[in-house]
Amino acid sequence: MTDGLWQILWHMIPLSFASFGGGPAIIAGLDLIVRQNGWIAPQDFLHLFAISRAAPGPGTTLATLIGWRLAGLPGAGLASIAIYLPSSLVCYLVYRATSRHRQTRWHNAMREGLAPVGTGLVISGSLALIQISGNGWAGPAISVGAFMIFQGLPRVPAVLVLIAGGAASLLLAALR
Amino acid sequence: MRDTRTDRATVPAHELFLTCLKVGSLSFGGGLTGWLHREFVQRRDWVSDDDFSATLAIAQVLPGANVVNLVVCLGEELRGPLGAFACVSGFLLPPILSVLGLAMLFDRLGQFPAVEIAMLGIACAALGMLLQICWLGLRRASGSPRRLVVIATVVVGVSVLKLPMILVVLVVAPVSIWLVLRQG
Repeated sequence: MTDGLWQILWHMIPLSFASFGGGPAIIAGLDLIVRQNGWIAPQDFLHLFAISRAAPGPGTTLATLIGWRLAGLPGAGLASIAIYLPSSLVCYLVYRATSRHRQTRWHNAMREGLAPVGTGLVISGSLALIQISGNGWAGPAISVGAFMIFQGLPRVPAVLVLIAGGAASLLLAALR
Repeated sequence: MRDTRTDRATVPAHELFLTCLKVGSLSFGGGLTGWLHREFVQRRDWVSDDDFSATLAIAQVLPGANVVNLVVCLGEELRGPLGAFACVSGFLLPPILSVLGLAMLFDRLGQFPAVEIAMLGIACAALGMLLQICWLGLRRASGSPRRLVVIATVVVGVSVLKLPMILVVLVVAPVSIWLVLRQG
């Protein structure tokens, strides 16, 4: 196996086990890993993030794309397995073990205790992405506008909001 | 709709695979939990609404993408280990293939500056989704100093002190759970 493939396994398997907070935590973790190791340029990371959001399915397919950038199709396959398999195994085993006593005090404490940890990770992930996209006011303006639509008009399909974001970006660039 | 867990349905693995393949192919722009609810509870009546919610809570608490965890649990519930495998593979195959296809396409088109600008706009709009999750989490925590302190500790650790995220989670998560248990 090449060095790139080992690197993917070495960094993504621990991230999978520790990704409390779900998809956003994985995205924040991938961002940290990519920056600490200088794998790809920040602009390219943002580019891959956009592709992962424009495609169907979970946004965590960003891991697949990072693997692809590092080591081609084998990298994409290995990164997908490394990010999804460990956490899925943990989930499977815990679900089997706990599905009989769901209303226990321990279970509620776990849910209640881990929820704010998840929120903190999402905030850190968002901060990292805002820093990358931060030249000029157009990017943050689009983000805030999209947030207001997601929050205020939940029935508008997310794809439409993303397309509108792309169109707004082109329009603002043309006006400048 | 069923309302007891004792009345357990068994669904053939290939049906689980095809259902998840459909959700994985069509769920553009998030909202995957809603899609799964529609297919597993409303349309097919495979699990009850209460069981779905309880399963979702477990899926959210554990590490890993919430929807992938949810699909693992639903598969195990309906067809055991084979069901879990059928659900996850069906659910992830279309998104993985489509992101790779899109990425290759955009690499070809990337030389046009307009594509780059539009992609940046899409990324910024997608960031709006994350902002919404931050907003909802902070609003739920607004009445609870314990929650706010946990959130602040994680953000300071990861974003300000630049500590490894895994280290921060492994230290803060047990303390946070312990605080809840102590409160009673």
